Amino acid sequence: MVGLSSGEKHFIRGGIAQDLRSDGRQRLNYRPVSVEVGVIPQANGSARVRLGATDVIASIKAELGRPDPLRPDKGKVSIFVDCSPTAEPKFEGRGGEDLSTELSVALQRCLLGGKSGAGAGIDLSSLMIAEGKICWDLYIDALVVSSDGNLLDALAAAIKVGLSNTGIPKVTVDLGTAPDDQPEVDVSDEEFLQFDTSGVPLIVTVTKVGRHYIVDATSEEESQMSTAVSVSVNKRGHICGMTKRGGAGLDSSVILDMISVAKHVSEHLLSVLDSEIAVAEAAAMS
Amino acid sequence: MRDLQVSFSQTQRVRFQSALQQLKDLSPGSGPAATVVVADSIPVNLEDSVLKGHGTAESDGQLVATVCGVVERVNKLVYVRPFRARYKPEIGDIIVGRVIEVAPKRWRLEINFSQDAVLMLSSMNLPDGIQRRRTAVDELNMRSIFEEDDVICAEVRGFQHDGSLQLQARSQKYGKLERGQLLTVPPYLVKRRKQHFHHLEDDGVDLIVGCNGYIWVGEHLETGENVMLEDQDNHMEKDGKSNLKLKGDQDEEGTFTSVETRRSICRIANAIRLLSALGFTLSLEAIIDTVELSFASNISVKDMLAAEFYVQTAEREVERRVSKLRKKA
Repeated sequence: MVGLSSGEKHFIRGGIAQDLRSDGRQRLNYRPVSVEVGVIPQANGSARVRLGATDVIASIKAELGRPDPLRPDKGKVSIFVDCSPTAEPKFEGRGGEDLSTELSVALQRCLLGGKSGAGAGIDLSSLMIAEGKICWDLYIDALVVSSDGNLLDALAAAIKVGLSNTGIPKVTVDLGTAPDDQPEVDVSDEEFLQFDTSGVPLIVTVTKVGRHYIVDATSEEESQMSTAVSVSVNKRGHICGMTKRGGAGLDSSVILDMISVAKHVSEHLLSVLDSEIAVAEAAAMS
Repeated sequence: MRDLQVSFSQTQRVRFQSALQQLKDLSPGSGPAATVVVADSIPVNLEDSVLKGHGTAESDGQLVATVCGVVERVNKLVYVRPFRARYKPEIGDIIVGRVIEVAPKRWRLEINFSQDAVLMLSSMNLPDGIQRRRTAVDELNMRSIFEEDDVICAEVRGFQHDGSLQLQARSQKYGKLERGQLLTVPPYLVKRRKQHFHHLEDDGVDLIVGCNGYIWVGEHLETGENVMLEDQDNHMEKDGKSNLKLKGDQDEEGTFTSVETRRSICRIANAIRLLSALGFTLSLEAIIDTVELSFASNISVKDMLAAEFYVQTAEREVERRVSKLRKKA
């Protein structure tokens, strides 16, 4: 991204202070969200989410695998993010790796819960086929196609939409007689089970610029931020995870305030996203 | 039509598509300036010696286009001027650019061209306004005029013998742009006109439509005042740096652009964003018309980029072209 002159920086900060940002939004407004589903035919589910000029694609692939011996009753989910060099020249080669790792880790924290799998936004026990023997491995791969700020929110939204688009094949298991036998598995080509996404949280990033908070910052606004707190909130309004970026410290009361702002904004965002999903699914059907 | 990043409802989609179809029907067909797409044959008399220019190739004894665009003929030369192309500077173009480097006796500017432009210290008026030789002191103080990342507007002076592009800023109206925002649009939407500097007096907004597709929308500053203001600012910084820090953000908010002006700036900027997303030519009339339409339909600044206003703007453009055709007839 090119730098900004001091005049432009001043203008952006002024807009945020006066509650009228450069594109006419108020501090707590999102840019228009547009959603497409089924963009990758060979994946089990996929989605493309655009927030202004930010453009991300998420694909979900399911594979049969063996569950972790320590957690025999749960499936496995892994999340990877890749930043395409088309988004920004600096992502070329290994340049995007730092950001990719940062985003993957933040998403893992917000969606997958702790190491034990407790508190996961994605219901891991629903991925179980035969306890201790076979489970589904979900590979969630996200690609940043174009970047204009607020990548984390867009990625989380894309994953949520992608999961709601995911069909997992129905499996019939023939457990062998001997307990050590590898069970025989028959994967159906026709019957798919819809993935339950009601518990999958969204991420709302609250960015602090000057003394004010904004949501859905563009990359120009992000260049002026002091700190950003990403809060993942599910449908019931529960906080599922949190990450903080930026060097400056925050008072604990400020963090609490930011969380309540994020929670308030997420309600609106969820309803917008739900209606967009309905429209996109209808468009994909026709 | 390129896909727009808007989610239309069913009725909006129908209205939008009918508006686009009407626009298509209204556009003049094969006039004197024939438009071609790739592989269209260009009618020429090959017996006369024809010079094949850019975007043309010979195939099976015919001249065919290799790009989409308008066929242009200059004496024997036949070439195709492409519709969507990178900005190509012409002498006298008003452009907006961003300083990327301060080099000895010159600034290097990014102007959306395939190479960077050069603004020499000697080809611009000094802040004190006196015509004189540039001294070594001036050279050392170049950063007090323009710094890296500053947005400035200038005029294309011409190409140097070594192929580099030279700019000039020999008037008070050129110079640093502050208190506003820079928009980037496809350069083919900006047509070269007599006037590229616009002062919208009702709103107190300056609009500079650079030929290179960079558009500046900012608070109006009187010509000449700019320099004075800067000097004051510099003094302020020197004298009151410690004071300013103490007063903190509260004080800073006082120096911001007023809310009314800011609202006008954002409204105009969104009108430009909308028109460029729809692929309509960015003339001052079109921009002002879109702004007025948004007032007339009582649409708030942020809703200007929502689906409904896209449709309204497209329908408005149809109306405008129909009335233009009627006037001609």
